[in-house]
Amino acid sequence: MAEILQILILGLALGGVIALMGSGLSLVFGVMRIVNLAHPALIIGGAYITYLAFKTFDIDPIAMLPVAAVAMAAVGVVLYRLLFQREAKSAKYSEMTVLLTFALAMMVEGLLGGLFTNTQRVTSPDYATAAFFIGDVFIPKGQLYAGLVSLAIIAALSLFLKYSRLGYAIRATTQNREAAELLGVNVQFISVLAFAIGIGLAGAAGSLVSFVFSFFPAKHWEWIAMLMSVVVLGGMGSILGTVVGALILSVVAAFVGTWIGATWSTLTFFLALFIILLVRPQGLFGEKPEMA
Amino acid sequence: MAVTLQDSSASAVIEARRAHNEKLSRKADQTRATWFPLTLLALLAALPLLQFVGNYNYVLHLVLFTASYVAMASGWNILGGFAGYVSLGHAVFFGVGGYFSGMLLARYGISTLITAPLAGLVAAAIGYAVGLVTLKVRGPSFIISSIALLMIARILFDNWHFIGGANGLTLPPNDLSVQWAKLPYYYAMLAIAAFTVWSAYKIKHSKFGLGLRALSKDEIKAESAGIDTRFYKVAAFALSAFFVGMVGAVWGEYLTYLRPNIFLLILVSANMVLMCILGGKGTIAGPVIGAILIVALNELFVATMGASEINILGTGLVMAIGLIFFPLGLVGTLARSGRLPRILNWD
Repeated sequence: MAEILQILILGLALGGVIALMGSGLSLVFGVMRIVNLAHPALIIGGAYITYLAFKTFDIDPIAMLPVAAVAMAAVGVVLYRLLFQREAKSAKYSEMTVLLTFALAMMVEGLLGGLFTNTQRVTSPDYATAAFFIGDVFIPKGQLYAGLVSLAIIAALSLFLKYSRLGYAIRATTQNREAAELLGVNVQFISVLAFAIGIGLAGAAGSLVSFVFSFFPAKHWEWIAMLMSVVVLGGMGSILGTVVGALILSVVAAFVGTWIGATWSTLTFFLALFIILLVRPQGLFGEKPEMA
Repeated sequence: MAVTLQDSSASAVIEARRAHNEKLSRKADQTRATWFPLTLLALLAALPLLQFVGNYNYVLHLVLFTASYVAMASGWNILGGFAGYVSLGHAVFFGVGGYFSGMLLARYGISTLITAPLAGLVAAAIGYAVGLVTLKVRGPSFIISSIALLMIARILFDNWHFIGGANGLTLPPNDLSVQWAKLPYYYAMLAIAAFTVWSAYKIKHSKFGLGLRALSKDEIKAESAGIDTRFYKVAAFALSAFFVGMVGAVWGEYLTYLRPNIFLLILVSANMVLMCILGGKGTIAGPVIGAILIVALNELFVATMGASEINILGTGLVMAIGLIFFPLGLVGTLARSGRLPRILNWD
């Protein structure tokens, strides 16, 4: 019993972080129909910003989170202007942007590899290796903090989307781009904004990831399929779905990892992706099979 | 009277159609320069004669390397170019082919040059099975599922001890002298490349190829026109896997070792996609030109800057620029503006 509870807690804490990693991906797809394969590469970009600050100025990774988020959001605006704005009218837009973001992922990987080499890095604040004990169950502080901060950010994002005027506009654009434009929403601006928020979320996730996982530039290939399975399970474009998908898959992966073997826990995500695409391509909370 | 009128109008239609078809075929004959690829092939086949006057192993290696990518990109083109299903997981079939023939070589000493077609068939069978599953979705979903396939294969190969796991497998080198050691693989790869390009041409101009092109434009319309789209696209997947698998088999023995982090790399898949996009997706000459360009660029990057990170950066950059400015590729863009030189019109 204690073992099951233990695995559950570890899975849930990690699931929170994965939910934050996937939420930006989901938002960007919802508003702009861009499947951003470069998202995990940009998360690693955020992680390196945090790592540098930690190594040189000894700044706490969580304190560094807003800085990484804003920096990556700025990167997002530049990327949107450079790469995606002119593609919006092309007929095979969705497929085109997948390849384009794939190219972007390679560029980010190459750039980071050139700057920081392919050594495994991790930031190590005190809490990264400490833990709480409740009876037999231990809760690693690092993962707990990261999970809680992630869920707080996602909650703030949901409130913003639900109650603010800009949030209305973003949701309207997600539901129907043309109708939103007819009703006076500046769709261009909303697209840039949503893309910036999405990449900003990648930066924020990067700060948390930097002490939860070890990372190196080529690591993002492992994450892209993981995040995709989370986002596809929840339904592309649905933030709530992403959170639920992340928690479910992360807990399942934790059980697989403990009982069958650590290697196979990553396999859970990839197999899940296959099964979801087959059985229910629109995911749990997706409204229609947009991508099928 | 009415009957004869009907007869004559029917025969007139047939006559007109025949004349039209003839005009089409003759027009194709006039613009196509079949002699050019054949001459190129003959020249490349004669290239090893250079070994009599000096050591040109590097040149041979480059041609061999290019030929391998010509075959892989042309194979990828059958699925990605003709049928419009972009796969980023074709490195899996490269790995499957390499490991299948490599294992036969390591265990029983049978050269991969003999077992390569068999490796192709194994890759095709796996491609067929995977295609049955993943080709149910299209567009971005398919691309993502193909990446997941590569990730799954990588984990399986990394942990499968029978085939050496992550450490890989060493294969025996052949007993030829350094001067001639590359030749068997050189000719094998050249033959595979030529066979693939020829097959791609035959497929494109068959009823099957026509069906693939139809379903790439609009799958529902193609289906209602009586094309068995499901079988067509799965068969296209299997065919493209076949050619990539054959290349993998020969490449494994040429390298003399098999390792997951050489074969099951997303960069290998990306190169196939990149070559087709750069040269022109869905054309015959496109993948060939793309392969030559990319190998040349790679050599340039490695020679001038060395680091593999720069290589990844450069590949991504070239891919992005190609996608944004020349989405139809070199051959496609030139053909659209009517300026495609005759020697590059292989369609």
